[in-house]
Amino acid sequence: MQAQIIQTIMGMIASACFAVLFGVRDRKLAWIAAGSGAGWAVYLVCVGLGHGMYWGLFWASLFVSALSEVLARVVRTPVILLLVPMLIPEFPGKDLYYTMYHFVRNNYDEFAETSNMVLLEAGAIATGIILASCAAKLAWSITAHVSHRNNGRCG
Amino acid sequence: MTVPAPDGQRENQMDSRLSMIMDMGEILLTSGAEVSRVEDTITRLCRAYGFERADVFTITSSIIVTAAAPGGGSCTQTRRIRERGTDLGKVEKINALSRRICAEPLALSELEREISEIRGAKGTPRSVQLAMYVTISFALSVFFGGSWADGAASAVSGAILFAALYACSALKLNDIVGTTLCSAATALAVVLLVKAGLGDQPDKIMIGNIMLVIPGRQLTNSLRDMIGGDTISGLLNLSEALMRAIFVAMGFALVVFVM
Repeated sequence: MQAQIIQTIMGMIASACFAVLFGVRDRKLAWIAAGSGAGWAVYLVCVGLGHGMYWGLFWASLFVSALSEVLARVVRTPVILLLVPMLIPEFPGKDLYYTMYHFVRNNYDEFAETSNMVLLEAGAIATGIILASCAAKLAWSITAHVSHRNNGRCG
Repeated sequence: MTVPAPDGQRENQMDSRLSMIMDMGEILLTSGAEVSRVEDTITRLCRAYGFERADVFTITSSIIVTAAAPGGGSCTQTRRIRERGTDLGKVEKINALSRRICAEPLALSELEREISEIRGAKGTPRSVQLAMYVTISFALSVFFGGSWADGAASAVSGAILFAALYACSALKLNDIVGTTLCSAATALAVVLLVKAGLGDQPDKIMIGNIMLVIPGRQLTNSLRDMIGGDTISGLLNLSEALMRAIFVAMGFALVVFVM
């Protein structure tokens, strides 16, 4: 449990620092750190419940993307400014490294395994982002449609 | 060729108006905004500044806009984008400016001032960047299962990575070659650090550094562009990001292979 807490905190620090590198300089840093920590918590809970790593990554990236779509409207900022740094803990840097490692070391079985893992992880994360973004677009156009109709009725 | 003076004047005005709109689009694209955002912003701005119609085509390396004025006549401008970085703070500022303009168009002189202010804004200071590289390396190395000592080693090699990247940009080295060299230098530093007794899992140390050079922003952008229907830009961005990731891996592999 302690290891997980340290891991989550490290992820939050990394996200906030990436945001600074990307030119974010205000209260949004706190949002980004909180969102990133919550996203990683979602992953840890999913894995803890026995759903496996890929589902964990899927739910975590879905959560983070949905959160940044909503938050971006609230604080009026581009979605990617929140999304990219918040997603840092989910990026499969570790397996990317091992893929490279086993490739140059000619460990073909391990290479096949890790490269497969990287592709599946990337797929899980991408699916999460895509779903959230499509859902957000749908939700906003429904809201726009409804408010447009109301306006028409009032006018 | 004889052009009646009033028409010429009108065209000049259209030109300078469109040119400022292009400036804003260019800042967006070079600072790392999605292509769909660039196109959307330019279209809205054209409408706010009295053009009847705007046809915008943007890919990661070029912006092409033809804007038509209500009374006939149109002008076309293109921008070639050569270098792109990530400064989402600038994206946010341009975004806020464009929201303001859509609510109430600014006078051209004022717009020019605002644009040059945003363009001239200083990025993150180098010392802060270095601090962020060190902290990120440390945090991610521990995040991916390294010990505290591994984290400390990663912080040192993260600083070396930053110095190498800075040297490459100062020498105006080709981007791809530079990325490979910097990755190799970092990996070498990690190997030496472990030999010297700081940290004991070179893999965990390097993972902390790798995350700094992996083009995460580009990958996310390319995904969002592809979903939004900008398949060309999405694919261009994706292939660029993948190429960069491969060269990062090659840089690290050079050292891992030899050691």
